[in-house]
Amino acid sequence: MDLGVNLAPRHKVELRLRNPVMTASGTFSNGLEIARHFDVDELGGVVSKGTTLRPRRGNPTPRTVETPAGMINSIGFQNIGVSALISNVAPVWAQWQVPCIVNIMGDTVPEYGQLAARLDGIPGVAGLEVNISCPNVGVGGLEFGQDPRAAREVVSEVARHTSLPFLVKLTPSVSDIRPIAEAVALAGGHALTVSNTIPALAIDPKRRQPHLATVFGGLSGPAVKPITMRNVYLASSVVDIPVVASGGAMSGLDVVEFIMAGASAVQIGTASFVDPEAPWRCLRELRAWCEAEGVSSLDEIRGVARRLD
Amino acid sequence: MRRFEAEVTESARLYGSTHVLWLRREDALRTITPGQFVMLTCGEGADPLLGRAMSIHRLREGSAGPEWSILFDIVGRGTEWLSQRRDGDLVRVVGPLGRGFEPRPRVQRLLLIGGGIGCAPLIWLADEVAAEGREVTLVLGGRTEAQIFPPHLLPPAVEVIVTTEDGSLGERGRVTAPFERLLPWCDQAFACGPEPMFGALHEVARRSGLRKPVQALLEARMGCGFGICYSCAVFPRRGGVKLVCHDGPMFDLRDLY
Ligand SMILES: Cc1cc2nc3c(=O)[nH]c(=O)nc-3n(C[C@H](O)[C@H](O)[C@H](O)COP(=O)(O)OP(=O)(O)OC[C@H]3O[C@@H](n4cnc5c(N)ncnc54)[C@H](O)[C@@H]3O)c2cc1C
Ligand SMILES: Cc1cc2nc3c(=O)[nH]c(=O)nc-3n(C[C@H](O)[C@H](O)[C@H](O)COP(=O)(O)O)c2cc1C
Ligand code: FES
Repeated sequence: MDLGVNLAPRHKVELRLRNPVMTASGTFSNGLEIARHFDVDELGGVVSKGTTLRPRRGNPTPRTVETPAGMINSIGFQNIGVSALISNVAPVWAQWQVPCIVNIMGDTVPEYGQLAARLDGIPGVAGLEVNISCPNVGVGGLEFGQDPRAAREVVSEVARHTSLPFLVKLTPSVSDIRPIAEAVALAGGHALTVSNTIPALAIDPKRRQPHLATVFGGLSGPAVKPITMRNVYLASSVVDIPVVASGGAMSGLDVVEFIMAGASAVQIGTASFVDPEAPWRCLRELRAWCEAEGVSSLDEIRGVARRLD
Repeated sequence: MRRFEAEVTESARLYGSTHVLWLRREDALRTITPGQFVMLTCGEGADPLLGRAMSIHRLREGSAGPEWSILFDIVGRGTEWLSQRRDGDLVRVVGPLGRGFEPRPRVQRLLLIGGGIGCAPLIWLADEVAAEGREVTLVLGGRTEAQIFPPHLLPPAVEVIVTTEDGSLGERGRVTAPFERLLPWCDQAFACGPEPMFGALHEVARRSGLRKPVQALLEARMGCGFGICYSCAVFPRRGGVKLVCHDGPMFDLRDLY
């Protein structure tokens, strides 16, 4: 059985994963804590916490609240900053076999370029994931990923500053994900991550206040799976670069469903909070499913559920 | 840290509306220290989704081997579910987690301060240090008698002081009064309770000018319990940000305020 996938088939530097099970940004820290307990080299890929040019302390608390079959978070991009990542984290990653991908986030288009340039050629860094589900500070709060032109600018800027393969992580906060997916693919993104947390709000009736200190946050977990499923289906039907699913996967069967919708790989996020072994369990369950179904390569099932084209 | 299933061996209301749940001790919990905690999945499916943090309350030798327990009040769905577990039921556990109390090896007099359900991890600490032959005073505070862990369930060597806000048991008032009295006596202090209690203890400790080391066991809203979600942030006085589950839950009181 060959579960391998290449997330940058048309780029000179490939991004080969041994299997399609990855971790999701912000739900695995930078992997160092978990790696003390479990063998990260068995996974397809590891994605770092969202990393910015300078370290950030993040938002005030409460930062998370549980909701039906999900949770809302507003962590506020607490991270150690790109310099500390390069000096303290990447050298550890360089000892691992698993490809480690840095999730980057900028406030402005040039910041994305600077982050990409800093990470280019750093041993231990196998690729980037460019988070465009965040406000374009220069343009009054609209997310980069909500505006095809801004999304294109970010992608071109990153492509100009790195030889690393990179995924572009789209936002679900659009009425139709297809135009953005097409714009990003045209501008040179090597793969798409579809998608991210969904803007949400929870009220605490006892305090008569929002649960979170920042009022709004992003919904994740099993509650968002059907929404992600639709977006994976739609995005993968209009682009010919790989699509990575992110949103709601809890089991190996969820991974199978995302692949049937058109995904090449699947990120395990919130599931890891409940069970630190979730990515490994999903992988075991995926293997068992393939064995039981006589599937020897994921190409046999990728996109089989799609009827749109 | 591991994820495993633990079998319930005893479930009871211990006092007031406080429950105790005893579980068979798996290999994963072989090396644990007072103040460490676990995350418990409180249900079968994906709702409720996240684990609930519970301090390890006590250890004992059961009829079929070693056991551990949690002590909790019912405050919502998760704790309600836990209170309904019966002998033989399985509970999914992630643990052991966090950095527990660190009594200095040679200190002789230990002062333990528990506010409300915050007494849970201190009972085990009291068991341990009393068994080592050290002097322990445990202050148990609550609003009323029903919130006080029954002193007769503690080893006789532990001196217990009770405070209740309504005076229904022990001294009328809060734990800060005995804390202030006993601070000069003790070599090291340990505290667990609601957030405002820590502020009050810090104020007393600071005013005393004694610079006694006080270890505080913090609570925070947790998503994971093992350092990957960044939900449980605290912002120490000197700046920066720490994770309660990973850098704590034990912190030096002076580093916080
Ligand atoms: C390290 C640690 C150790 C703990 N040890 C114990 C213990 O030994 N015994 C015990 O009874 N409780 C303990 N708690 C608190 C316990 O985790 C919460 O009371 C529990 O999660 C509530 O779950 P629920 O589903 O019953 O309530 P929910 O319906 O989730 O919430 C009910 C109320 O509790 C609050 N709450 C929810 N989660 C937490 C949390 N993690 N910390 C504080 N408040 C919370 C909510 O804001 C709400 O007001 C500990 C918490 C931490 C962080
Ligand atoms: C606590 C938390 C923090 C997150 N931080 C980031 C981040 O820094 N960068 C990013 O691109 N996505 C971040 N995400 C989004 C996840 O990577 C993932 O896309 C989303 O949670 C949906 O997947 P899930 O349902 O499997 O969790 C975060 C999600 C959570 C729950
Ligand atoms: S609870 Fe997730 S990092 Fe502390």
